[in-house]
Amino acid sequence: MQFTVIDTDAGLVITIAETRIDAAIATRFKDKLREIIIRHRKPVEMRMAAVDFMDSSGLGAMIALRKALPEDLPMVLQDLTPNVERVFRLTRMDTVFHIRPAAKSEEQKE
Amino acid sequence: MIPTERQNAGPNGRISTRTQPMFHRVLPANPAAVRDTLADIRLRFRSEVSEDTLGRLELVLAEVMNNIAEHAARPSSAGEGAPSIHLSIVRHDGGLACAISDDGVSLPEDCILPRGLPAMDPEDLPEGGFGWYLIQDLTQALCYYREDQRNFLAFRVPFSAEDGAR
Repeated sequence: MQFTVIDTDAGLVITIAETRIDAAIATRFKDKLREIIIRHRKPVEMRMAAVDFMDSSGLGAMIALRKALPEDLPMVLQDLTPNVERVFRLTRMDTVFHIRPAAKSEEQKE
Repeated sequence: MIPTERQNAGPNGRISTRTQPMFHRVLPANPAAVRDTLADIRLRFRSEVSEDTLGRLELVLAEVMNNIAEHAARPSSAGEGAPSIHLSIVRHDGGLACAISDDGVSLPEDCILPRGLPAMDPEDLPEGGFGWYLIQDLTQALCYYREDQRNFLAFRVPFSAEDGAR
């Protein structure tokens, strides 16, 4: 399972290095990160630029992580790629997470 | 076919048929084999369809095949391990036509009946139940039948506006 965790004053910054969060790794992904999130109990920022595919089992893992964090603490998903953003949008789960699209697309508009 | 219908056929038996990219694979229903197959599909169609369409195709096929891997295995008495999946994809004018069959247990009927999203209880968010919703949302002409110990599923993943210029 490839990810790095930086513990800052403001919260945890978790950078996912896996390119796919799918049925092959969803359970391990959830178990490992859940333990870290519960232990620190602070806002979480997930950097997901490396993830170019996520299926419904990956979505289920992300929802389980959101639920592992108290509701008043935000979970921000940063730099979603289009294929990953689509799954959150189609399932309306984009209303549950704080989603920030990749900054790159803003630059391209100029 | 009656002979008159073949009159326009060229020396090779086909005249105006545009060669359409296809993909066929037989694979065991397990997540690792599904992953490998999806990577190969991406390579096969990458230069033919838009990234948007490819993304939707990959998501639908991941949902269908991982669903077979997770739910279609026969009770251990058969002892044959994972079901075997047969997958075919053909590019048509309007989209990518897909046919998938497997030799696992029957697909429950309610999977292909129209369905909405799982109930959104903010106190206890659903962690599953999204797969068939996504499959139904992203496909057209979804149909299913069971014959001779196999499940057959067929559908089309439509092109998006981005494919129009191709």
